[in-house]
Amino acid sequence: MVFDKVKEILGEYVDTEITMETAFDDLGIDSLDMLDMVMKVEEELGVEIELNPSITTVGALVELIESK
Amino acid sequence: MIKTPLCELLGIEYPIFQGGMAWIADADLAAAVSNGGGLGIISAMNAGGDWLRDQIRKAKSMTDKPFGVNIMLMSPHVDEVAQVVAEEKVAVVTTGAGNPTRFMDKWIAAGIKVIPVVASVALAKMAQRAGASAVIAEGGESGGHVGDLTTMVLVPQIVDAVDLPVLAAGGIGDGRGVAAAFMLGAVGVQLGTRFLVANECNVHENYKKKVLKAGDVDTIMTGKRLGHPVRQIKNQFSRNYFKAEYSSISDEELEQMGVGSLYKAAIEGNEKEGSFLAGQISAIVNKEQPAAEIITEIFAEAEEVLKGAGKWVR
Repeated sequence: MVFDKVKEILGEYVDTEITMETAFDDLGIDSLDMLDMVMKVEEELGVEIELNPSITTVGALVELIESK
Repeated sequence: MIKTPLCELLGIEYPIFQGGMAWIADADLAAAVSNGGGLGIISAMNAGGDWLRDQIRKAKSMTDKPFGVNIMLMSPHVDEVAQVVAEEKVAVVTTGAGNPTRFMDKWIAAGIKVIPVVASVALAKMAQRAGASAVIAEGGESGGHVGDLTTMVLVPQIVDAVDLPVLAAGGIGDGRGVAAAFMLGAVGVQLGTRFLVANECNVHENYKKKVLKAGDVDTIMTGKRLGHPVRQIKNQFSRNYFKAEYSSISDEELEQMGVGSLYKAAIEGNEKEGSFLAGQISAIVNKEQPAAEIITEIFAEAEEVLKGAGKWVR
């Protein structure tokens, strides 16, 4: 559920196939895109996300959101 | 006199910050700017905690006015210097090259006013949520680490997005720029390049000469490929780097090309191999003068420009 939403929002930035293992670095989005994307996820899911350097994959972001 | 809420917030006379420039913005420059009525800033750059602590204590011995420290978030020593500023309880911490929110609770608990440099609306909103006292909207005209958006485009959007005082940075070098920034909704400005040529700035003489001589098209943006673009003055180093960026060399090799280039520019004055970070506004920075004089001159001019701004309104 959270994954589907993240995948949908990420789809606005990139065309590549997105899985839980996808690393943000490999998507070629820069740090400003990343923040912009996180703000959109926050707005759509109504959660506050505290980004930290360990959030490097889609899966890590999804787990963080699900732990809220 | 130009007074804005930023002056009250920080206890400074003029709403102007001196940008944190790696290998350039040390205690001498920061103290001179603070003594001149602005907010001087020491750059923590890639240095370790001991160096920064010495600089902070030196600045404290040179001025009783508030000053700040700029934390460059990509620094390998970022955790250490983040701790040092909290222990030394500096008045203001500005941050650059990333998202500072993971450090902000600690700084705010130490009584520090946190004022992140932001290059996008999302980053500004996150900074506000994490307790920032103000934000610096820095456009890509500036020197050093840059975002894509220009100051003209970024500042009004940040002003609309947050309920905080906004400083404008990037492309400001005189009173006209300050007045324009105020028109966009900013209540303060941050200047780096203009202060680089201040008498009290210890950067190598060759660096100052490069900035003083630079014309309108003399800076270039490099480093986009590695995800952390910087603006610098065109020379042999920056042209080679720019070419290499679009060649087949690996990211690691490209990264390696940049190592030590800032030191070569700022400390050694090596005109060929150094990386002379500076803003586009270098073109109108044409004289060396004391930091205090830079500030009074800029604000006298800004006042004149702002007073005349109504002349087209009928």
